[in-house]
Amino acid sequence: MVDNTLAVLPLLKEKVEDGYITLTAAQTVARQSSTTLASVESLAMQHSILPLRYKRNGLKPAEQLKLFSSTIAIIGCGGLGGRSAEILCRTGIGHLILSDPDFFSESNLNRQLFCTPASLGQPKVSILGRELLQINPALSTDLHHHHFDISSITGADIVIDALDSTGARKELAALCHKRNIPLVHGAVKGWYGQLGVESRSNSIINSLYQRPGKSTATPRVFPMTVALIAAMQATEACKLILDTGSVLNDGWLQCDLYNGDFEAIKQE
Amino acid sequence: MRVQVKLFAFFREGRFIKEERELPEGCTVGEVVDALHIDREEVGVLMLNSRHCQFDTNLHGGDIIAIFPVIGGG
Repeated sequence: MVDNTLAVLPLLKEKVEDGYITLTAAQTVARQSSTTLASVESLAMQHSILPLRYKRNGLKPAEQLKLFSSTIAIIGCGGLGGRSAEILCRTGIGHLILSDPDFFSESNLNRQLFCTPASLGQPKVSILGRELLQINPALSTDLHHHHFDISSITGADIVIDALDSTGARKELAALCHKRNIPLVHGAVKGWYGQLGVESRSNSIINSLYQRPGKSTATPRVFPMTVALIAAMQATEACKLILDTGSVLNDGWLQCDLYNGDFEAIKQE
Repeated sequence: MRVQVKLFAFFREGRFIKEERELPEGCTVGEVVDALHIDREEVGVLMLNSRHCQFDTNLHGGDIIAIFPVIGGG
């Protein structure tokens, strides 16, 4: 938050055009006032001025401010995590906590955002954090290059499950229940995906993973399925923040891209 | 008795999405899974008329069963 609001606001208002402020103008104001870009943009939205980058979101400044004031923890920064992080960054979430112990490898190239020949061998969280700041310099991130723990979700309004193992998912769901943070679950295999919102009133992780299940060493993961499920996870996270309600809070959604079939499964 | 069977995700491959099946009285959900050559270890969720059920749950005429595989990739 800007403590020298009185000094910054006139500078800001000078540069507003048609209710919007450009990135360059906001950066100039931040420099002139020795404050951060995030503080300037936050102050702008508090005064119904939108950073120009959000113009086409079509949200009200108050809604955009709500997103910007929110923290989302993304657990797993592979296919689902990388995509949902990029979408949330562009949508205007202000703070992202990214956790993943892994490094990019060649078999990630088919689906993982920012995995390129140049980033192979690099920690996924470092590359993702760096690229997100290129997209939106007002974003702030916490990077956890290790297996998630309670610190990975502390302070989060919403947690995104972008993991790839049953044991880890159950562990994460237990942590989220403990802190009473909604968990947006997503998982993929080949042409198929599923997602839902895990909460105290909708315990889907224990339902979906109630049996030990057969583990496949190298499951098929298509980029289009990953992109779809990640986009839907980002959507549900934003809807939770904006209080628009969700159709996925009493069950989950099954997505079949091969047959073009989507079905909401209700749990009684 | 007639029962409706719904399959999800890759269980549909080489099988069907939804089918009415004629089954002997007293048949269990597990027997339907086996008859479809679905590996029980790949089954994640079994639902009978929108409620979770088990392999040994008995079926009745008019029931709808849904069989979901475990999907765990990210």
